[in-house]
Amino acid sequence: MRRTPLFDEYAACGAKITDFHGWSLPIQFSGIIAEHQHTRRRAGLFDCSHMGEFILRGDAAIRAFDRMVISDMVSLKPGRCRYTAILNDRGSIVDDCVGLRLAADELYLVTNAGPLKRLAALLGGPGVENVSDATAKLDLQGPASRQVLLDIGLRDIASLGYWTGRRCAWKGKELIATRAGYTGELGYELFTPAEHASALWRALIAHPAVLPCGLGARDTLRMEMCYPLYGQDITEDTTPLEAGMDRFIAWESEFPGKAALLAQRDGGCARRLTPIVSDTRQAPRHGFEVRHNGEPVGVVTSGGFGPSVERGIGLAYVPPAFAAPGTRLTVGPRAVPVTTAEAPVYRHGTCRMRFEE
Amino acid sequence: MNPEDLKYTEAHEWIGFQKGAYVVGITDFAQEQLGEITHVDLPEVGAKAQQGDPVAAVDSVKAWSEVYAPVSGIVVAVNEALENEPERVNKDPYGAGWFFKMGDVNVADLDALMDAAAYREFLNKQDH
Repeated sequence: MRRTPLFDEYAACGAKITDFHGWSLPIQFSGIIAEHQHTRRRAGLFDCSHMGEFILRGDAAIRAFDRMVISDMVSLKPGRCRYTAILNDRGSIVDDCVGLRLAADELYLVTNAGPLKRLAALLGGPGVENVSDATAKLDLQGPASRQVLLDIGLRDIASLGYWTGRRCAWKGKELIATRAGYTGELGYELFTPAEHASALWRALIAHPAVLPCGLGARDTLRMEMCYPLYGQDITEDTTPLEAGMDRFIAWESEFPGKAALLAQRDGGCARRLTPIVSDTRQAPRHGFEVRHNGEPVGVVTSGGFGPSVERGIGLAYVPPAFAAPGTRLTVGPRAVPVTTAEAPVYRHGTCRMRFEE
Repeated sequence: MNPEDLKYTEAHEWIGFQKGAYVVGITDFAQEQLGEITHVDLPEVGAKAQQGDPVAAVDSVKAWSEVYAPVSGIVVAVNEALENEPERVNKDPYGAGWFFKMGDVNVADLDALMDAAAYREFLNKQDH
C-alpha cells in the first residue's frame, strides 16, 4: 500500500490505519466522535496527501482543460476557486475536482486519489504538470483554523475569503493555500512540497487548538453537510444532474458528455441524490435499499451517525417523486424510518465566516 | 478477556446463564471491531426466535451489524439502558453492555456453540 509523506507522523498520534484506494491512511486517532466534535468547535487536522494535484501553465493548457469540464474555467478570476467535474460520453462523472486560478496564466487543480491515473492520462499535454507525488495536502478545518495558522506564522492566509486561494510563504518556503473545505467549517487546505510536510504537521499539532483527525471524522463531517463523496455518491454511473450538481454546469460551454446531459435535462432525471435523516440514532448505511410504503424505490450511497445532529444520516438516490423534503421512507433490512431533508443537514457551520482586515 | 463461563458464536455473540435466564451480548472483539457504538436496536420482549435469527442490530461510527439469537427461545428482557447509553457495550461488553435475556431456551442449541478456548482459537484464525 502507498504511504503519504506524513505516514511516519501517524504512530506518534495514535492512529488506526485503513486501506483507502490503495493508500495507508488513518481512519481515526483519538476517536471519530471526539475528532468530529473538535473540528466543529476548534480545529481538526487531516492528511489528504493522497489526493492529486496538477499545475496547468499557459492560456492553451487552461483552455484545453476548460473544454474537458462542465464549468467555465476560463472566466475564473485569479485568486478564486471553482468546483467542477469531468464527464464521460454518457454524461457520468469521471472525477470531481477543484480548480484555483493562481494567476492569469496558471491554474492549480486538485483531484481525487481514486481516478488519478485515469485523470493524468486525460489531462496530459503541453503545459500540464502532475505534482501529486511531490505534494502533501494538509487540511486544517474548524472555527479556530484561521487563528491557528496566524499563530504559527502563516500570515498570508489572513486575506483569504471563502473559495479563494493563493501562494503563501511559511518559514521561507512556498506553499499554496485555499479556503474551500469539506466539513462545513471555516477551513484551509495547505499544499506543501512533500519534504516540508512533517515540519508543517508538527507545527500544527503542537498548537493547543488542533487535534489530528482521520478519514472517519472527515466522512461524518461531510455527510452532515451532504457533500457527495467520489467513488460512493458520485461515480462513472451517476450524472451531475442526478447528483444535484446543476449549478456547476455551464450549459453554454461544450464538454464531453454534454449531449447525454442535455437529453437528461430535457427528459427528466429518473433519480436524485437526496439527504435522509433517521428518526433515531440508527443509521442508513451504504448499499441499503430504500423503500416507500414497502416498495423498493432507491439505494443509500452514504450513511452513518451524525454526531452534531445526533441522528442517523445519509444520502440516497430516489426518484424525484420521493425526493421532496419531508418524504417518509424506510431503509435497510430492519426498515429504519427516515425522512428526506434539504441540504445541509447540519446548519451551524462556520465556513462562510467573514473577517475584518 | 473472554469469560470462561460463557458460550460464543461465530458472529461474535456471547450467551451465559445468569440468575435464572440466558443473557446475550456481543463480545469484546466485536465491540473493538465496531468502534464507538452509537445505537442498539433491541428486540421486543416476548419475541420468539430460532437459533440464528437476526433479533437485534448494533450501529457504530464505522459500521452496522445484525445480532443473531445464539439459541432458540423467547426474549424475556432487554437492556433498556442501552437506549440512552449505547457506549456501555464498548465499556463493559460482558456486563452492563448486555443486550437481551432469553427464556424457554432450547438447551441443546448450546452444544453447537464454542466455549472460551474454542472462541479464542477461532479469533486467532481470523486475524492473519
